[in-house]
Amino acid sequence: MVMPAMSEKERRPEDDGRDFANAAWSIPSYLLAGIILYGGAGWLLSRWTGVAVFTPIGVILGVVLSIYLVYRKFGR
Amino acid sequence: MNALTVLAADEFKAPGLELFEIPPLWDGAPFWLTKPVVLAVLSSLLMIGLCWSAFSNPKLVPRGIQNVAEMGYMFVRDQIARPFLGKDTDRWMGLLLSIFLLVWLWNLLGVVPVLQFPVASHIAFPIVLAASIYLLKIYLGIKHQGAIGYFKNMMFPPGLPKFIYVLLAPIEFLSNLIIAPFTHAVRLFANMFAGHMILAFFSMVGFWFLFEKLTPLGAPVGVVGVLMTIAMTGFELFIQFLQAFLFALLAAMYIGGSLHPEH
Repeated sequence: MVMPAMSEKERRPEDDGRDFANAAWSIPSYLLAGIILYGGAGWLLSRWTGVAVFTPIGVILGVVLSIYLVYRKFGR
Repeated sequence: MNALTVLAADEFKAPGLELFEIPPLWDGAPFWLTKPVVLAVLSSLLMIGLCWSAFSNPKLVPRGIQNVAEMGYMFVRDQIARPFLGKDTDRWMGLLLSIFLLVWLWNLLGVVPVLQFPVASHIAFPIVLAASIYLLKIYLGIKHQGAIGYFKNMMFPPGLPKFIYVLLAPIEFLSNLIIAPFTHAVRLFANMFAGHMILAFFSMVGFWFLFEKLTPLGAPVGVVGVLMTIAMTGFELFIQFLQAFLFALLAAMYIGGSLHPEH
């Protein structure tokens, strides 16, 4: 019998279930937070400067940052 | 009585927000004494009664109501609590079982004839539950990880390039401390609100076209309305259970996350 490879810490099967549930319930919340935060900042910047393009830039920056965060946190 | 005012019109009118504008129980009653409040109290009494009769004098070989309640207990323990709380499961079972049963009873009252109002479709009720869990989450986090440690673990996940924390910490903060509790309450509220609306709509269609304005062309529509009411009630029973499960599951997740920092 070949033992399955273990990561540094010993993992129980229920850990995977918990990690999956954690990720599944946090990811939409992170995406929303990124869009609201940086989209909102961009929108404010647009209002101050009168340059409309800051709003979409902020939204896109927010999406990119939250996807990066989710990837680093849950992507292993 | 809201249904009757709608039916007094001459044309079919779909039920709307007036379904949720509930007056005090009788003229001159205190303004807060409304049907949802009574139903919420009733659910609490039912839950206390259920748990009392099941667990106050437990037998080694469970019979009758203890048997049923133990199935609920096992479900909450194995499916909700244990995956998130591990060895702390037993300490939190009282809270989690109560939340699960209470929310499920709230929801179930939405399809019990005569009562027929889902308590959680008034957002104040889920807000109170979600806010209690939120306060508990922060209290436990500070207690087990320290005031600074808790926020550091939350906002600065290890292993990222230094400069990027400036951009990511606000996202973590907003997500964990504002959006998560908000959606915790709104998810339950919105599901119950929409479900009640759907049931009211289809039963109104059936009532209107079969009883109020019976015409050869309208009758089939009324039959469809009745059939859809039955089908949607079955679906609603499933959603009610699912939302109670999710509400308790997220509570367990937040508590577990505060007891042990991630990774």
